[in-house]
Amino acid sequence: MAAAADSSGDGGTSSGEKTIVLVSSDNSARFEVREAAALLSQTVRRMIDEAGADASGDGITLPDVDAKTLAKVLEYCNKHAPASSSSSAAEAAPPAEGEEDLERFDREFVRVDMGTLYSLVTAASYLKIEGLLNLTCQTIADMIKGKTPEQIRKTLGITSEFTPEEEDEVRRENAWAF
Amino acid sequence: MGAAGSSILGADGEWGETSLGDMPESCVAAVLLYLDPPEICQVARLNRAFRGAASADCVWAAKLPANYRYLAALAAAADDEGRGDGDANGKRFSLAATKKEIYARLCQSTLFDAGGKEFWILKNKGGLCISISSKAMTITGIDDRRHWSHLATDESRFHSVAYLQQIWWLEVDGELEFCFPAGAYSLFFHLHLGRPYRRMGRRLCGTEHVHGWDVTPTQFQLTTSDEQQATSEYYLHLHEQGGWKLYHVGDFVVSNSDEPINLKFSMMQIDCTHTKGGLCVDSVFIYPKGYKPEKEGRAWCKR
Repeated sequence: MAAAADSSGDGGTSSGEKTIVLVSSDNSARFEVREAAALLSQTVRRMIDEAGADASGDGITLPDVDAKTLAKVLEYCNKHAPASSSSSAAEAAPPAEGEEDLERFDREFVRVDMGTLYSLVTAASYLKIEGLLNLTCQTIADMIKGKTPEQIRKTLGITSEFTPEEEDEVRRENAWAF
Repeated sequence: MGAAGSSILGADGEWGETSLGDMPESCVAAVLLYLDPPEICQVARLNRAFRGAASADCVWAAKLPANYRYLAALAAAADDEGRGDGDANGKRFSLAATKKEIYARLCQSTLFDAGGKEFWILKNKGGLCISISSKAMTITGIDDRRHWSHLATDESRFHSVAYLQQIWWLEVDGELEFCFPAGAYSLFFHLHLGRPYRRMGRRLCGTEHVHGWDVTPTQFQLTTSDEQQATSEYYLHLHEQGGWKLYHVGDFVVSNSDEPINLKFSMMQIDCTHTKGGLCVDSVFIYPKGYKPEKEGRAWCKR
């Protein structure tokens, strides 16, 4: 899969705006995206700063993000990217889409299976994309709220590796809260 | 990528090859920021990553009140003096504690101002609460046994309430200087018409002195050092069940967590055409605005 996938569909390069190429960990996919979208990731931002101006020619490889996850992450970034990547103080740099539209997008975006959600939250954490990290964390937190530990274990697929002694210790450490 | 891999049977959906149980501690910590402290403590026992994240300073720093250093110093001082409640293991609370330990300690009440006042934070969201004892307030005629006496009772956080038998001039004044985390707060007088007492294990209420409350209303007032003000008035009356009641005086707003605010509050019924009596004055409570205490431990009578 070596297609250039700019899923915003409006041809980023045709507007003359700078694009950046991001490469997945297994080198199987290269994505060309608008700079504004790519810079939503603080990690990418830092990599560009460190590598200098010619880094985007070869593409920036993200060693911890596989192709499928990167595609999904960039779907988020393209939707949430500001209309222009200029960081002039005059522009509040809001996303190009409306507020309600974004909320609807976000709600649909996290309707995924647990495996994908796991990949998204770890990718958002590694890439330091604040909005995506908030969204995925809030989603997982909502799955936890109001459930007993047994229910949470089933829903999130968590098995406990605690010994009975460890279990007692944890119970004691946290008894004050109940 | 299908989910045909080593998936485990589960109630909801397919998990593919990895599940949220594999999240590293740093990711779990990011999720815990969206939960309240009791929930965080509950998920600590899910697995090791959750346990570690549930004790992480970065999580609890976000849950502590903005001025927690000020509050923790008061707690440490009180524990040193042996007046406050140490934690369950008998360890003295020290400022070297983890953020989670600080939160846990602040949830227990801390006495200050020579034991006449105490503060604590609410477990669920860390909101600050304060109670000021009748002994820390200035009551006109308190030393005159014709008018006032002190009743020992476990219905008060301070184990003692001021009981009014009869007086012309009822005035109770109090003052507090404290640093509140920024936010809105409500101030209440905790009062009871009738004299609670116990006979043969039952809780009874003596109303022999109750009079004079229905002629003119009782006035309540609150002012702050930054010129906020609130007043209210109520006709006090007996509850059917003879219970304690919180009389809402008013609200105030704090904008700076690091600046102390000085509050003056009072309760007055000084219409001298008639006497009034049969009133228990327990304390003043300050709660985060919107908080409704349920049967709040010892301060509420058993029905």
